[in-house]
Amino acid sequence: MAFQINCPNCGSRSPYEFKFGGECKTVPDPGADLKTWCDYLYFHENMSGFQEEWWFHARGCGDWIRIRRNTVTHEVAPIDAVAGQ
Amino acid sequence: MFTANSILRYKQPAKSYDVIVIGGGLHGLAAAYYLARHHDLKRIAVLERRYIGSGGSGRNTEMVRANKRAHETLPFYKESLEMWDGLSAELEWNLLVQKKGLIALAHSDFELASMRMQGDSQRRAGIRIDMLSPQEIKKMVPALDVSDRTALPVFGAQYHPEGGTVHHDAALWGYAKAAGRLGVDICAGVEVTGFLIESGRVSGVRTSAGNISAGKVHVAVGGYSSEVARMLGVKFPVVTIPMQVMTTELMAPFLDHYVASPRLHWYTQQTLKGDLILGGQLDPWQSWNSYTTWEECSERVASILEYFPSLAHARVVRSWSGLCDCTGDSAPVMGPSGIDGLSLDVAWGYYGFKSTPAAGKYSAEYIATGRVPEKIRHFGLDRFYTRSRVREIII
Repeated sequence: MAFQINCPNCGSRSPYEFKFGGECKTVPDPGADLKTWCDYLYFHENMSGFQEEWWFHARGCGDWIRIRRNTVTHEVAPIDAVAGQ
Repeated sequence: MFTANSILRYKQPAKSYDVIVIGGGLHGLAAAYYLARHHDLKRIAVLERRYIGSGGSGRNTEMVRANKRAHETLPFYKESLEMWDGLSAELEWNLLVQKKGLIALAHSDFELASMRMQGDSQRRAGIRIDMLSPQEIKKMVPALDVSDRTALPVFGAQYHPEGGTVHHDAALWGYAKAAGRLGVDICAGVEVTGFLIESGRVSGVRTSAGNISAGKVHVAVGGYSSEVARMLGVKFPVVTIPMQVMTTELMAPFLDHYVASPRLHWYTQQTLKGDLILGGQLDPWQSWNSYTTWEECSERVASILEYFPSLAHARVVRSWSGLCDCTGDSAPVMGPSGIDGLSLDVAWGYYGFKSTPAAGKYSAEYIATGRVPEKIRHFGLDRFYTRSRVREIII
């Protein structure tokens, strides 16, 4: 297995229980121009190293969680926050 | 394994070039080769931070095909597929081009209908596509189970006779040798760490071997493209995801064609050597690690065994993965970067290998002339801002 994700509700679990939700981004202001929205939608930092990212615990508690994960080594840092309670 | 000295001499980079190509993979070497062969820019260097072919060029599944869907991309893939035919003679190196035919299985009426529709698009672009019944498939691939026993029985297939395989290492060394003969400096172990940019125009690169000046710089770094984007302070429209591949022990020849199931995300072929290459789908998450996982391998093997039950004895002997920088519209990014003199050939996802000859040819044309060639005009970075993303629907 590649790595484990420490879900704040369920404990350390296989990443195959989750759906990967991509890197965390700041949602533009609703009135932002088209270029800003295109940047937000299509362009990614695509970090090689630690990044904050969303995971959905589909086969667990059903929460979206935010983790910091190193995309090169797969090291997962402690949970920062839980969203979507 | 060839040694660098017997086939090709790696060079130390000079202080200045007409063109620097970043990335010593197939696309970078091909671009350098076509530049040296067809254009006036003669002082060319290919900078590779590890060894040539260390990325996706040495990690793909050797498949060449043109059975895509979008009208924006089909002429490009068709030309690329045809270019492989003459390359062994042109490069004076046997690339083991084998147009063995690609059979893409359908497991429902819906998939068959979709394949017929795709086939119409492909035929309009001049690509040969036939539909096969389960009985016709069975004649061509006796080992394939087309009965009702399988979980998702075979309803038919799309046959792409001009698809096949090319030996990826041979292609790599062919382009590298030919480029070397034409005077291209191929510099392995030289890592680009930044760009020299003066008033909006690129003037060279910073490297582990010092600064090198250049009139033009071309980026062909495969799955690692976002690392280059960070050096430039921009983002590319890609996410890097690994794709895992396995190979079996050698077996007597039994499989003459490339067989794929787009629905179940597997494809397999028997190489000239006799081993089966078993390919799958992208991993379910972003990663820059070329690892392999038990979950992916076991799922892929179980799915392929369902349709090739006689492979039950076969042992998987090796597995590997390569990094794919994927766009949301399954099309690459080629051409202008927004910085004068800096051109892109990135975001090739998992369809970079088959595209090598045409991508090299048109990258070279763009670098030399500054005009975007017709066949890659839909691949520009600006398409993400102008609502003109490529409408590709086929994996």
